[in-house]
Amino acid sequence: MPARPDRDGDQQLWLLDDAWEKAEPHWQDDVARQFGTHHWMPLRDESRLYLEALGAMMDLLDAAERDTEY
Amino acid sequence: MTAIHADIDALTELRAALTRFRYTQREVADRGGDAIEATRAGLEAKASRWRARLEQGQAELAACRNRAAADDDPADCSGYARAVSEADERLEHIRHWQQRVDEQAIEFHGATLRFKNLLETDLPRAEEQLAGILASLQAARRVQPGS
Repeated sequence: MPARPDRDGDQQLWLLDDAWEKAEPHWQDDVARQFGTHHWMPLRDESRLYLEALGAMMDLLDAAERDTEY
Repeated sequence: MTAIHADIDALTELRAALTRFRYTQREVADRGGDAIEATRAGLEAKASRWRARLEQGQAELAACRNRAAADDDPADCSGYARAVSEADERLEHIRHWQQRVDEQAIEFHGATLRFKNLLETDLPRAEEQLAGILASLQAARRVQPGS
């Protein structure tokens, strides 16, 4: 059975989060703070929202397939 | 001008991670869309199968009742009636799921568009800004005395 896309997406977001965590201690200036506010945080938050919506959609699709297997 | 204090390797890795994220999440979003279409097609195939069984059952039930009426024969048509009822219930159940999937897919479509826009517009801007910062850092390193 292929992996669910929402789970792969979560994994990729985790990897990106990890890259940010690793870069942050080496990048401490105004540009970094601006990048965090204007790029990183919206990207992380919007991605989380989308992946949650995708997860809910995939749950519904799984339920629809299971419940109509006669 | 604001001074840039950053490690080139750390930012290069962050930029690469952002690019990977853009490609992999685009694929994730496409697979999400494919999954919706596959389930819709699967439900439609099931509905079509049960619709055919319902029609066949209704024809058999009608034939049985006609025979019973014509021959004045107390034939038992209850098996046909049960089959019709079962096919009808299952078809209704599948239709209910089709409606739920369609409703949620419409809602989800908006989230997908916003996310794709983020991947296609906002994320490349972030990558571009990082590329600019990296270029500045590399240029500054080249002019440092003793470097």
